[in-house]
Amino acid sequence: MSATITADSHAAAHHGDHGHGHGKKGIMHYLWNTDHKVIAMQFLFTSILYVIIGGAMALAMRWQLAFPGHPIPVIGHLLPSTIVSDDGSLIPGGYNMLVTMHGTLLVFFVAMPILIGVFGNFLIPLKIGAGDMAFPTLNEISYWLFSISGVIMLASLFVPGGAPGTGWTAYAPLSSFAKYNGTPIGQTLWCVSLFINGLSSLTGAVNYITTVITMRSPGMSMFRMPLPVWAIFLTAILLILAIPVLSAAAALIIFDLNFGTTFYKPEGGGQPLLWQHLFWFFGHPEVYILILPAMGFASEILAVFSRKPVFGYKAMVYAMIVIGVLGFIVWGHHMYVSGMNLTLSAAFGVSTMVIAVPSAIKTFNWMGTIWRGNIHYTVPMAFAVAFVSMFVIGGLSGIFMAATPIDLFVHHTYFIVAHFHYVLFGGSIFSVFAAIYFWFPKMSGRMFNDTLGWIHFWMTFVFFNLTFFPMHNLGLSGMMRRIADPTVYDCLRQVQPLNVVCTIGAMGLGLSTLPFLANMFWSIFKGPKAPANPWNSTTLEWTVSHPIPHGNFVTTPTVHHGPYEYSVPGLEKDYLPQNEKAPAHVTLEAH
Amino acid sequence: MSNAAFNDASLFHAPQEESHAHDSHHAPPTDPKICKLGMIVFLCSEALLFSGLISAYLVCRQAAGCWPPNLGDGIELPPMPKLLTGINTVILVASSFVYHFAEEAVKKGKSGAGWMLAAALMGATFVGVQCVEWTELYHEGLWFNKGGVYGSSFFTLTGFHGAHVCIGVLLILWCFYLQVTKRFFTAERHVALMNVGLYWHFVDVVWVFLYTILYLI
Ligand code: HEM
Ligand SMILES: [Cu+2]
Repeated sequence: MSATITADSHAAAHHGDHGHGHGKKGIMHYLWNTDHKVIAMQFLFTSILYVIIGGAMALAMRWQLAFPGHPIPVIGHLLPSTIVSDDGSLIPGGYNMLVTMHGTLLVFFVAMPILIGVFGNFLIPLKIGAGDMAFPTLNEISYWLFSISGVIMLASLFVPGGAPGTGWTAYAPLSSFAKYNGTPIGQTLWCVSLFINGLSSLTGAVNYITTVITMRSPGMSMFRMPLPVWAIFLTAILLILAIPVLSAAAALIIFDLNFGTTFYKPEGGGQPLLWQHLFWFFGHPEVYILILPAMGFASEILAVFSRKPVFGYKAMVYAMIVIGVLGFIVWGHHMYVSGMNLTLSAAFGVSTMVIAVPSAIKTFNWMGTIWRGNIHYTVPMAFAVAFVSMFVIGGLSGIFMAATPIDLFVHHTYFIVAHFHYVLFGGSIFSVFAAIYFWFPKMSGRMFNDTLGWIHFWMTFVFFNLTFFPMHNLGLSGMMRRIADPTVYDCLRQVQPLNVVCTIGAMGLGLSTLPFLANMFWSIFKGPKAPANPWNSTTLEWTVSHPIPHGNFVTTPTVHHGPYEYSVPGLEKDYLPQNEKAPAHVTLEAH
Repeated sequence: MSNAAFNDASLFHAPQEESHAHDSHHAPPTDPKICKLGMIVFLCSEALLFSGLISAYLVCRQAAGCWPPNLGDGIELPPMPKLLTGINTVILVASSFVYHFAEEAVKKGKSGAGWMLAAALMGATFVGVQCVEWTELYHEGLWFNKGGVYGSSFFTLTGFHGAHVCIGVLLILWCFYLQVTKRFFTAERHVALMNVGLYWHFVDVVWVFLYTILYLI
């Protein structure tokens, strides 16, 4: 019996079972389903819920920073009393809770699930020509673990003491002492939630790695895999190596808070700095977990809309591998001010700068890909190009901070906030938007509305920069992160107008999601029907038409060449799908 | 290029609209090699979990200077029972071999259930002895919240490991049950047995590390 589920084996297995088995109908179909495409949609809609919650929290914080003490419009009265006072204005401790929840939600419940849960699930089997994931049930379990962990995370808002206010980095001893953080229950729930969330990531990663290694269709060698698959595959390896360390560290916080252990307590012989080491040993690979898939999507989208092969396909793969490996030896760059030995901090500085080299290789390859291409100006292309430019800005500020002397000055200021929003929002999220527009026709069978798409792009692009660019200046002027009211510091009064600018930008950014959501929901139901291959793309997912049956491919596709054969000289059309043989007279870029 | 999985040609064409909510049990069984790889990847993440815990322990121990640490309250902290746990370690390691014999028996077409039961009992013995040891140490003034990081790390590390052993014992008993009642594992197909074995060997190897760092050095 075939080991994998293809549409055929599937039909065979069904034969004689229940003749026209349509399984459970209605809502159950969307609640428990082992089809990787449905799971991808489950992840997508759940994360959209979280992005709305997390985004609203960010707006509440921005309001407070621009107009300290003024009641927050609209959202103010929705927040629990641990966060806002009666008139709907933020209390300082509540501000810290919002910082924590916003960071945690956006990293673990929006960026990761969208990059990995949605696109990993949707793309891997379709792109490698498999019928489903290696372990479909485990895949659905992964989704439910993710959902449960999200509920636990949000529940911490409503326990006595409220949500933790320790930041997404939850530094000990603040997080590990009930008397410091004031909310042992909230902090414990935070840890438990991340532990379960970690299990979800791990089960997902086991699936992705196994699927990519064992279920590629005939002819799909590793070096014929599309770059998004490579990126998610490498990301999954990083997950396997990084997430358990966070789980261990979080478990120790739970024990310190609830069972009286002293891992992070000096008076019992413990080490508060231990948390920082464990957290950042996870944390730095984590930021690559958040950027590698984004890089993969952008690489492919740039090639498709430049009608050119990806420049330096193999270099792209090797660069990602090098980034993944080096990512494990740079965590100390988050800890320069922790009192570490200067030689060690120099070593971390050098390794951090070295890791910028493969990042730069990728950037130049993206430019090489579009250079002299036959560029098609579409919404996904615009987001992909914006991704490259925003990533460059964020990467450059990263190099600044890698140098210890500079970082001692800018550490824990808004400069850091600017940096990671450029790489995470300008990088990961821009690429996610590109990917959503690009694969929307395959996911929904419909085309999105172009005008709304362009409005969304320009609003996002302009307001994103308006929000986050001034933060570089705020940081350099000395504004610290995680403060509830900048106006209480004399030295910051003169830069307060910049805070107002950031807030105006943030509101615009909030509004920019409206055309996006409207576009998505309208187009799912009312958009014009999409052809099977609207972008004239070469990879396998475009060979199946909507609705894609469970099992994906009616017959298992055979792959004849690499993924990006665009504008091949001597061919009539300007692309050659992976499952089509090249005519004898044509020589291909890659094999 | 690895795909033996797709060599089976199709017999039927897929219906165009097909969306079943509970397909997994109709799907053909997954190739044993794929299952094994999945297990190995999972165990890698388990290895990292223990590495995280062990490095936390080593960092605290390194920083303490002497071990058991001097907490400055004049209380003498008890040493760890090397001998009893040494014997216990031998039992646990031996159970890995016993489990291996179960697998070999199944591969030869025999039942192997006796070996499975023996392995499970040895695992249970290990847990039992650990419980005795926990109680003794507790009475000697060591617990999660007593004896500073010395107590914390000992109970946390052995606790995490003990939980893994318990899960392992339950899994082996489950295999035993399937084998006795349904003769579930055959020479040709015994994926679950093999994967439980991988897990069990892993748990043993972790214990050898833990025994070394917690008791011996
Ligand atoms: C070009 C390569 C990069 C370099 C050299 C770099 C360097 C740094 C350094 C030195 C810090 C610590 C600053 C401090 O706290 O004082 C930092 C913080 C951070 N970086 Fe990067 N970075 C790079 C790329 C990225 C990417 C691609 C991401 C994510 C997608 C990212 C996300 C973050 C985040 C989230 C923080 C802040 C963590 C926190 O304290 O909350 N970075 N980066
Ligand atoms: Cu870092």
